[in-house]
Amino acid sequence: MAAPDLLLQAGVVFVVLALGGGLASRFGQSVIPAYLIAGVLVGPNVPTLFGFDFVLVESREFVDLLAELGIVFLLFFIGLEFNLERLAAARDRVLGAGTVDLVVNGGVGLVLGIVLGFSAIEALFLAGIVYISSSAIITKTLIDLGWIADPESEAILGVLVFEDVVVAVYLAVVAAIATSGGAGAGTTDLVISVGRAFAVLVALVLLAAYGTPLLERLLDTRSDEQLLIRVVAAAAGVGGLALALGVSEAVAAFFLGAAFGGTSHAHRIERVITSERDLYAAVFFLSIGLETDPALVAGVAGPLALLVLVTTASKLASGYWGGRAYGLSERRSVRVAVGLVARGEFSLVIAALATRPDVALPQGETIAALAVGYVLVMGLLGTVLMRYSGVIERRVVGSDGGGSGGVGGDTAVE
Amino acid sequence: MTVYETDIPGVGRKFEVELGGGERAVVVHHHDGRREVFRRADPEADSEQVFDLTAAQARQLGSILTGAHFESVDAGDLSVPLGDAIIEWIEVPEDSPVAGRTLPDANVRNETGVSVIAVQQGTETVTNPGADVTVEPGDVLVGLGTREDHEALETLVRGTASGPDRDDDA
Repeated sequence: MAAPDLLLQAGVVFVVLALGGGLASRFGQSVIPAYLIAGVLVGPNVPTLFGFDFVLVESREFVDLLAELGIVFLLFFIGLEFNLERLAAARDRVLGAGTVDLVVNGGVGLVLGIVLGFSAIEALFLAGIVYISSSAIITKTLIDLGWIADPESEAILGVLVFEDVVVAVYLAVVAAIATSGGAGAGTTDLVISVGRAFAVLVALVLLAAYGTPLLERLLDTRSDEQLLIRVVAAAAGVGGLALALGVSEAVAAFFLGAAFGGTSHAHRIERVITSERDLYAAVFFLSIGLETDPALVAGVAGPLALLVLVTTASKLASGYWGGRAYGLSERRSVRVAVGLVARGEFSLVIAALATRPDVALPQGETIAALAVGYVLVMGLLGTVLMRYSGVIERRVVGSDGGGSGGVGGDTAVE
Repeated sequence: MTVYETDIPGVGRKFEVELGGGERAVVVHHHDGRREVFRRADPEADSEQVFDLTAAQARQLGSILTGAHFESVDAGDLSVPLGDAIIEWIEVPEDSPVAGRTLPDANVRNETGVSVIAVQQGTETVTNPGADVTVEPGDVLVGLGTREDHEALETLVRGTASGPDRDDDA
């Protein structure tokens, strides 16, 4: 309807994102916290700042749509990269490290949730938020710091892949439980809801397992343009269909991605879809910020501090143990520990689910505010810990780390 | 010499080459074509980045390292001496109208303008194929002609009127 207005709103949204992202890059920080803060600053909850807010409030539908696509493509891409054979090949080490990571951090999250006075389902949301590390922030930092060439990156990425699988199942279950009315609803509703979620998932898993020839034909085009449109059609279509059936669109997108990942077009899809994902995901992070009331975040400062302290410690402990289980030295295990601290996109995906109207958690807003504050702190803390891990390595390892640090560069002068 | 190859989810692939004495060269292939080369002095050392290359730089450096630099010719240059003509190849599908016929019999040259300069039959290459060569399904025709000529050849060989983007090749 109001076309010129809508375009202006799009312009404002992306200008804000560009400014936030630019600032973050300048200071060597992850962009996710920057997008969140940008969203808070121009959102309806800070009406006194800049006067941007009224523009963005009107544009909720536009932001919501792109943010929804952001969730779908974040998970679609993870699925695309997901490789069951690779996971199976390293399963002994990944299973050990991944299970400890899940039990320790998920368990700590559950206990903290109960201690902080949340209901069982709300505590389950909180457990997911503090469990899942940020693939986006961590992978980017691994590349920036050059750790990508070292063995610790294999352990870190192995645990991240394990987490991806867990979060796919987790989202399916939690979305089904929450949308069926939670604790108040009857058991039959719950069973039907969870059953329907799994029926859709089984269909998608079957597609991934046996549908490869079909997908090959579907994607058989030499035109990148046609490929892009077909992939977006599939992702948006399947995600939307899943939502209509009361199943998590994120999970559907993950399994659809995994199905596409089995075709010979996987790398091409990755290439054409990456910028789409980045664009929509940025709007998603901004939209979470938009919905965040800074006063609410400030109000939960106490619980937030507790969460940060305890779950940083638990992630460090489980990561270090995981590194050792991977057969890495103490020094490299310290790196695995600090390398898993950052939380980001998935914690926010879970937070977005917590605030959905059909989920209707009594303290959903509080959980979302906690999650935003948590990701802001952990996103920054995670990258800072990785950047200065040398200090911790020397503390933990003592003499062992000293000999190897400086040898590299100078001897290569032949 | 052992080369280790690992998938890096979300990034690309990693190759490690043993250089002796515990030293390794580590190459990271990013999906976007970027190539990073690291050197790790010993298993406990941190990898030190040696090069950070674009795809083009990596190809150049690679061809120098393999000693093939002076032979390395860009595919774009190949077509220059032929003017508008390019060399393309096409596999003959099972149900192709030209299968079971010779090239003169199928009137390939007059129909499409493409000169078929070789037929690859399994591991055997038949150059200058004439009336004594019967084209079989699975053969690869190597032709010389303009882009339009090649499109005509593709239409003829596939037996359909579809363009390069075919969804239905029944």
